[in-house]
Amino acid sequence: MSDADPRYGAEVRARMASLAGAGRFAPSPDVAPGRAGDREHGAEVVLTCRVIAGRVEEARFQAFGCPHLVAAASWLTDRLRGAGREDLEHWDWREVADALAVPPAKFGRLLTLQDAVRAVAGNWPGAAASTV
Amino acid sequence: MPRAFTASGAVTSSSRTEHPAVLDACRQLEREGCAVTYLKPGVDGIVVPAQVEEALRSDTILVSLMHVNNEIGVVQDVAAIGRLCRSRGVLFHVDAAQGVGKLALDVERDCIDLLALTAHKVHGPKGVGALCVRREPRLGLVPLLHGGGQERGLRSGTLPTHQVVGMGAALRIAALEMAADAARITRLRERLWQGLAALPGVTLNGHPTRRVPGILSVSIDGVEGESLLYALPGLAVASGSACATSTGEPSYVLRALGRSDRLAQSTLRLSLGRFSTEADVERAIEAIVTAVSRLRAIAPGSGA
Repeated sequence: MSDADPRYGAEVRARMASLAGAGRFAPSPDVAPGRAGDREHGAEVVLTCRVIAGRVEEARFQAFGCPHLVAAASWLTDRLRGAGREDLEHWDWREVADALAVPPAKFGRLLTLQDAVRAVAGNWPGAAASTV
Repeated sequence: MPRAFTASGAVTSSSRTEHPAVLDACRQLEREGCAVTYLKPGVDGIVVPAQVEEALRSDTILVSLMHVNNEIGVVQDVAAIGRLCRSRGVLFHVDAAQGVGKLALDVERDCIDLLALTAHKVHGPKGVGALCVRREPRLGLVPLLHGGGQERGLRSGTLPTHQVVGMGAALRIAALEMAADAARITRLRERLWQGLAALPGVTLNGHPTRRVPGILSVSIDGVEGESLLYALPGLAVASGSACATSTGEPSYVLRALGRSDRLAQSTLRLSLGRFSTEADVERAIEAIVTAVSRLRAIAPGSGA
């Protein structure tokens, strides 16, 4: 079904197949976590980023949601590599919407992802106490 | 049928878990002035005769109830409710679309005045069905279609002979195979349930034993419905009701049973039929267990 299903583009299918970047870094002084959404509303994301010298060295995701959200979270773990705190503060969900050809009906799920990115920025090493 | 009585504000009793084919007709009757009572089934999906008795009023003319629920597969006690209706002089309509050819029904014994069925649920052609109407005493049905007077004036229009013959053949085969099919498909359904129940957080929807052989509905906690369906490309499964999935709304049947919206959306309806095999069931179990485990492993709180 899913291979030929026009609702899901090639990048979404590839990400759902590999689930690249899935997982979570254990709490540590150099790890910035960010959580957004909740299951009752169908979308929940946790991002954890290992930060070295002010840049994201590696990112991981956990997600509960539709294939577009899961694939977008996976895509984001690649996109965030090398990003600084300011990049995360200004990251916009439209970037992944374009990259994954996410349909408008799912844009709300991507805002959850954006909220998680902002939460990571808020929990940047050396910033205020972790919220996750 | 209650159109002939709407001027008097007559009452029709039905269940909240009926198929839209009945619920939408009830709502149209309400727009035309007929009062309708919608009974709430128990958490097992069953409407008990006492509920029907309590809902009957002096001006109730019709009770409509489905024999088998299309989403969760529970079987209503139409015989007891039929006897109740007959004793109170209330007409009894049964939507038998899901049960015909799978479970025995006797319109005389079970006091059924009107019984609707469709061919495609028994491997017959799509686009043809039947309404069995008690002949005596006459019910005084009012036609919806006019022009031609076919079918005793109740439904004008030239009959599609090839469809009708196909339906008759399908029903004849179903009657011949019913006992053997029911026993074999029930075994397959039980094996399927056992295989899925091995996963934590899996709930059977509907009464555990009063079920049609070929329908299994399970709610799976900890996975999102669309991703679960996506992860099962080789299985022709439905999330909730196939008739409602285009809306994206949680199933009203599951909500009537008290399931949360989230759990209703992570529900799989699995259908087994005459051509299902043990190998099919084992493949389905493996596919679902693998998909659920994989999705749970990437969900927040999984410890991954």
